[in-house]
Amino acid sequence: MHDPKGAAAPAASTGRLRRFRFALAAIVPLLVLWYVLTSVTHTISPGRFPSPNDVLQAARQISRGNGYAGGTLAAQVWQSSKLVLMGFAVAVGTGAPLGLLMGWSRRAEALLNPAFLLVRPIPPLAWIPLAILWFGLGDGAKIFVIWFAAFVPALINSYTGVRNIDPTLVAAARVHGASRLQLVTHVLIPGSMPMIFTGLRLSMQASWTTLVAAELVGAIFGLGHVLIVASLDIYPGMILYAMVWVGIMGALMTKALALLERRAIPWRG
Amino acid sequence: MFTNVKRSFRRRDQEVLALDDVSFEVGEKEFVAIVGPSGCGKTTLLRMAAGLDFPTSGSVRVGDREVSGPGPDRAVVFQQFALFPWKTVEENIAFGLRCRGIDADARSRIVASYVELMGLQGYERAYPQQLSGGMQQRVAIARSYALDPDVLLMDEPFGALDAQTRVVMQEELIKLCRVNPRTALFITHSVEEAVYLADRVVVLTRRPGRIREILDIASVRRREGWDTYERIEEVMDLESFVHLRTRIWRLLRERQEDAAPAGIAVKSA
Amino acid sequence: MAGLGAGSSARSKGAPSGRELFALSTLGLLAFFAVWYGVASSGWVPSRFLPGPVVVADTIARLSDHAYAGYTIEAHTVASLQRFGLGFGLAVALGVPLGLLMGWYRGVDDVVAPLFESVRFIAPIAWVPFAALWFGTGIGGPILIIFSGAFPPCVINAYRGARQVDTVFVEAAQTLGAGGLRIITEVLVPAALPSIVAGLRVSAGLGWQSLIGAELIVVSSGVGYLMVQGQTSLQTPIVMSAMVAIGVVGFVIDVALRALESVVQRSWGVEP
Repeated sequence: MHDPKGAAAPAASTGRLRRFRFALAAIVPLLVLWYVLTSVTHTISPGRFPSPNDVLQAARQISRGNGYAGGTLAAQVWQSSKLVLMGFAVAVGTGAPLGLLMGWSRRAEALLNPAFLLVRPIPPLAWIPLAILWFGLGDGAKIFVIWFAAFVPALINSYTGVRNIDPTLVAAARVHGASRLQLVTHVLIPGSMPMIFTGLRLSMQASWTTLVAAELVGAIFGLGHVLIVASLDIYPGMILYAMVWVGIMGALMTKALALLERRAIPWRG
Repeated sequence: MFTNVKRSFRRRDQEVLALDDVSFEVGEKEFVAIVGPSGCGKTTLLRMAAGLDFPTSGSVRVGDREVSGPGPDRAVVFQQFALFPWKTVEENIAFGLRCRGIDADARSRIVASYVELMGLQGYERAYPQQLSGGMQQRVAIARSYALDPDVLLMDEPFGALDAQTRVVMQEELIKLCRVNPRTALFITHSVEEAVYLADRVVVLTRRPGRIREILDIASVRRREGWDTYERIEEVMDLESFVHLRTRIWRLLRERQEDAAPAGIAVKSA
Repeated sequence: MAGLGAGSSARSKGAPSGRELFALSTLGLLAFFAVWYGVASSGWVPSRFLPGPVVVADTIARLSDHAYAGYTIEAHTVASLQRFGLGFGLAVALGVPLGLLMGWYRGVDDVVAPLFESVRFIAPIAWVPFAALWFGTGIGGPILIIFSGAFPPCVINAYRGARQVDTVFVEAAQTLGAGGLRIITEVLVPAALPSIVAGLRVSAGLGWQSLIGAELIVVSSGVGYLMVQGQTSLQTPIVMSAMVAIGVVGFVIDVALRALESVVQRSWGVEP
């Protein structure tokens, strides 16, 4: 037992180092090329793609004083993250239990599935105009749309999670005298955990995408709003800077969820 | 025409000696089986003959050429069949012929003759997954035979089959070899299978694999008239067969008991 | 017997009959429309905001006869589908080969993966401003958006498919005398195909949804545009009609790719 572990650890770290080196080797030349094409040879016009200096200026502008498009970057990012987390929480709070229920009981599945199937093919982004009609440009519309986007993957994956539990585990629990409640808390929920987390990851990505879209279509604040204002101002430096933050936040949320997953499912290794 | 000299072979990771100074020769049209405990390197031997693996020292020759890579002169029948799941039975058998550039007419003639020989009529257009394990291995054997190879290399070809199918396949293989004799190297962990099929049996020791003994079966088979019996269980009942089987079992057993303490010592080191 | 049989799964006791399930499904379906109809006609919600199913059906019929926002609803849908076809096609044509190359050649993987990872988390819709800036709002801009939505799943699934090829297939092909090119076309690509096709389905779904997003913002035709026009003139029935059209098209695309997936899985012998 001892030997293979000792052998595996250095191998993994050299692998990571190797990847890191290659990442540098791939990205650094690209950054240099970007600088040369925009700021030295001026092959790319600043109206089409910003130079590093433009982005730096945009970054400085939005982080100081009144910021840009109604607030500083921190405030805009906070606004967007807050909405995502709220919508996500509501969606998971409704979608996952419903999925577990539909996975567990055939009757519940038969009753609820038709409505779900009718609504599901409509992509979340297509709910944005209706949400704006119903709730206006404020937070309510965003939370509604995010709820819709994140609800579907949360439901489907927890449903699949229950359906994929090995029936012999359920049989084993029954043989050992588990009550219905114990069956749910000790077998069904932990057994579906891996799939539930897959659903959460998809839900999180869908939430973020949908929020950015919703803010692009109609908002008074938030990262998507920054993007659309910069687009109307034809301000490429700010567009790129805002996009970078869209990417950073998306990556951070996914990573946070992956960390949580490792905590919540220790038996997965 | 298969002269085969194998010598010591060391595996890279931590210099485990898998095969130590193994030398033997397979004569033309001779059927040689290799038996040994699992992990003795018998599959490695076969892979070296196929050109999928190479010795650390010593040499592997087929005919008078050193093996430098895989080639259609040495057909391999794998334990997991290795049929292409996306090709039909016909297409699988024809694959090697197409690689060789044989024209469509000749190809379909050859394929048809092997379909008939292996009793695969009616399944020509079936996909491998639609067939039973025994049928799949028939297809794999047909695919190898269709190339008209000088040497047949079989790596526990019946290891994945159930006991009854296995017996049927063993009887068919022996008939096939009578009709169409080939130089063959056959890996198995079944002592009965080796004694029943082979002209000579090479017994390997536990890791590091060394040759314990090479037994001549062909002379006993001829003397005792094994080939006059139709069924495997009749042959297996003969005193001469039982005698050989017991002898091989003893050889395997005695080495195992000797080697056991050494095996533990290696692990903890 | 229901709990321990081979065919049972982790389900509650007392399996209901097929007839009961069918009745429940019908009930669920009827309930959906009944609730919609009831709420819409009860007067709790102004009908301006929640038209009933009949009104929506009526609106769809009217939109297919009379042009709204420049075209009939069919013409809008066709415009959207054309954009989708181009963007999705481009994503598949570039994404699948790239993913396969990354899966087969470690060097390609090492160089491309960090670039890919660094843009992957940018929501496709965030490309809208640059798409408009670079390609205008006609056809080029929306195609870039669809592409950015549909490209990643193509790459990821082709990559996974290429990595998961069992080496025994490659070895079998080698021992049968196949050369490098033949191994690629007849072993590596087919072996990766189930995973690629599964990726296409995800990719098409994301591409279609990204297109709708793009049409909400930048173009002057298409179902998304129809929706926005309905929204700005406070015509909820038009918004909902467009949603129905979007749902139907999305559903048809999904069904078509699901059929392709099951054909591949069946002839490959992969259990879905």
